[in-house]
Amino acid sequence: MSAPVGIVLVSHSAELAAGLHLLVQQIGSDAVPVVTAAGTGDGRIGTSYELVRAAVEDADRGGGVLVLADLGSSVLTTRTVLDDHPRADVVIADAPFVEGAVAAVVTAASGADLQTVANSAEEARHVRKL
Amino acid sequence: MSANSDTTSPSTRREAQVVLPAHLHARPAGQLARAAGGFRSALELDYNGRTVNPTGVLGLMGLGATAGSTVTIRATGPDAHEAVTALTEILANAE
Repeated sequence: MSAPVGIVLVSHSAELAAGLHLLVQQIGSDAVPVVTAAGTGDGRIGTSYELVRAAVEDADRGGGVLVLADLGSSVLTTRTVLDDHPRADVVIADAPFVEGAVAAVVTAASGADLQTVANSAEEARHVRKL
Repeated sequence: MSANSDTTSPSTRREAQVVLPAHLHARPAGQLARAAGGFRSALELDYNGRTVNPTGVLGLMGLGATAGSTVTIRATGPDAHEAVTALTEILANAE
């Protein structure tokens, strides 16, 4: 099987990202590289350009990287990092944070490529809870 | 469907019903979706009048399928038999 797609979780809160990380490992797989970039470098609520950049590198196993961001400046910071370091195989998903991450990790665990993993995350916005 | 139409392995269709031993919640749904992603056949899962693609974990969880209820797994394609066998096995052993 080819290298798995890596997933990066970008959040304002380290606790939020860490909790989601645990959840996606339970539902999905611990075989998929999932890396968090959450909070500021000194542990406050916020986002960090350097943490996002490092997480993308860390999650990269050769199969590409999908980034999921919670909201607001997480999205802006991620887009700035990707604009500064453009790569065809590193993309941000326009997807809800929790549902998108769960769908992406499960899909990546089945050996899907980056486009398929990204699509699974973005389809999450259309799945009804009730 | 695969773009290559393989004439040596004609498309087959298989279907099976499973009575769920446990609710189809997050973990078994994840397990089912991961397995479903490994087949080439077109897959469907029916529950209570709704049909979802079992490769989608969120769709599976959104069914709210409960213990004791019956779901139908359907596969059409070159590995339909293997797919239905594998997926019914996962559903029948869900915890």
